[in-house]
Amino acid sequence: MNWLNDNVNLLGLLGAAAIIIITVFVVGKYIKQIKNEKSTGELVGEDWDGIGEYKNPLPIGWSLSFIGTMVWVLWYFLIGYPLGGYSQIGEYNEEVAAYNTKFESKWANPDEQTLLGMGEGVFLVQCAPCHGVTGDGINGKAADMSRWGTELAIVDTIVKGSKGMGYPLGDMPAGMLDKESATAVAAYVFEKIAKAGKSKNSDLVATGEALWPTCAACHGQDGKGMSGSSPNISNYGKPEFVVDVLNHGKKGDIGTMPSFNDGRLTDIQKLAVGKYVNSLIE
Amino acid sequence: MFHWLEKNPFFFAVAVFVVIAYAGIVTILPDFMNSARPVVGTKPYTVLQLAGRHAYIKDSCNACHSQLIRPFKSETDRYGMYSLSGEYAYDRPFLWGSKRTGPDLMRVGNYRTTDWHENHMLDPISVVPGSIMPKYTHMFSNPANIETAYAEAFTIKKVFNVPYDKADMPKLGTYEEATKMALAEAKPIVEDMKSPEVKAAFARGEIKEIVAIIAYLNSLK
Ligand code: HEC
Ligand code: HEC
Ligand code: HEC
Repeated sequence: MNWLNDNVNLLGLLGAAAIIIITVFVVGKYIKQIKNEKSTGELVGEDWDGIGEYKNPLPIGWSLSFIGTMVWVLWYFLIGYPLGGYSQIGEYNEEVAAYNTKFESKWANPDEQTLLGMGEGVFLVQCAPCHGVTGDGINGKAADMSRWGTELAIVDTIVKGSKGMGYPLGDMPAGMLDKESATAVAAYVFEKIAKAGKSKNSDLVATGEALWPTCAACHGQDGKGMSGSSPNISNYGKPEFVVDVLNHGKKGDIGTMPSFNDGRLTDIQKLAVGKYVNSLIE
Repeated sequence: MFHWLEKNPFFFAVAVFVVIAYAGIVTILPDFMNSARPVVGTKPYTVLQLAGRHAYIKDSCNACHSQLIRPFKSETDRYGMYSLSGEYAYDRPFLWGSKRTGPDLMRVGNYRTTDWHENHMLDPISVVPGSIMPKYTHMFSNPANIETAYAEAFTIKKVFNVPYDKADMPKLGTYEEATKMALAEAKPIVEDMKSPEVKAAFARGEIKEIVAIIAYLNSLK
């Protein structure tokens, strides 16, 4: 082994040797002193169980820094700390403000991929306990994200009705149309109102359009919900609709979904999780 | 002075305490009376919620769950607004806890719902894969102890002047009135649940422990 070629090892060994030599000398000196010398000097009056104490003058530098520390402590205890008012909440507010600034600059113009990633993160923390890690709704315990937002889900909504988002118009009644007409309306809503692409039943769009007035009574001719009386279904299945669900919560036939208005999610996080949910739709 | 302290161990201990506790003394004491008052909107627990709280304590939920959100961004992101001391004004005892094997529950009422709690308490793994929280199936068969809860509410009303029966505060009334109100409060919860056992018991006028603890969890906001 050539470990002596290594500078660090060499220095280490030299240092060790130096320490050993110095230790031997110093210890030797003190042992000699203990053996030969008698202590002299003036004793302090006290006697602690037979142990006495010499009057040794304190080194000047030590005394000065000791007194300095005491003066500082008195200032700090009586004036600096109580009046300087450290506040934990203040520190929290600063932390949040700093984080928000950083967050906003970092995500000022997020691309699709970044948003999806953020959305997945939010989903796994906030939504997965109810909707399942894959968004499948865990055997009907919450909305199944792969089915929600599809044309089929619109058919379901028309047949079964919808409730619990707390819109001024209240609940959407069940059974307004039979399944066949519902399929046609769903095709129309999917293709023309939500503009979500080509419907699977494109041939039914015209039939659906003829039936649309049933729906327009509540959702408006353009499906935008008549300025907040009912949900804007021109967004149905899109991230914006998910944001709407998050803002309202929903107490439907499956169960209760809490609203997310207590500040845990920022607007951009809501949109991001909406995009992620959107990506789960099959 | 120090010499004198050295000879008087008791005062020495007092001096050491003051020096060590100084920061706490100057930050906590001056505002103590003020911050210990209930925060606006904080209300005493209803009898049903108290019965749930007793189940919570009895089953040692506080061994794994804290109820104290510290002012750190990482915590407020996950659990919501940090806790204020006045929010615990009606907690006897408070259930801050000291260990988070599971998440904090201070504001769980904001983001979990009755049907979720039912699934989760019956079988945590069915909703959170890999959860190490135990099942609490016995809560679906044990009755909630409304009587003890009423006794506690009545006592703290008399002894500590907890503002039951005041304007905008929960009503307590007589025991008969309180049981009626507990049933009325339990009704919407039972309706949101699926368990036939719980529903059948409720039809007989019996409230199961699970209903009470869900009422309590939903009240944590
Ligand atoms: C009586 C008024 C009314 C009529 C008529 C009506 N809706 Fe609705 N609709 C509502 C309300 C209110 C909601 C929100 C319900 C809720 O709280 O979940 C809603 C929700 C919806 C939703 C969203 C469901 C979801 O998953 O959140 C869709 C899609 C929808 N309606 C489509 C239609 C179609 C298509 C028609 C025509 C067949 C129609 N609605 C007719 C009132 C109505
Ligand atoms: C406490 C459980 C719970 C949590 C947490 C939760 N949800 Fe839900 N969610 C539900 C339930 C239950 C439903 C079904 C409501 C119904 O239709 O009965 C639902 C329905 C939905 C719907 C469909 C609503 C409609 O109009 O039909 C969407 C979209 C949704 N959730 C998105 C989310 C997102 C995104 C998150 C996370 C930020 C989330 N949910 C968190 C329980 C939850
Ligand atoms: C052995 C420790 C342990 C005990 C005891 C325990 N829990 Fe949990 N709890 C956990 C863990 C771990 C989680 C996280 C995984 C999960 O959601 O199941 C959790 C999650 C929860 C959640 C979901 C919180 C959230 O933010 O997702 C609730 C509500 C809850 N527990 C209630 C209770 C109640 C009520 C009791 C008493 C009857 C209790 N726990 C007892 C360990 C425990």
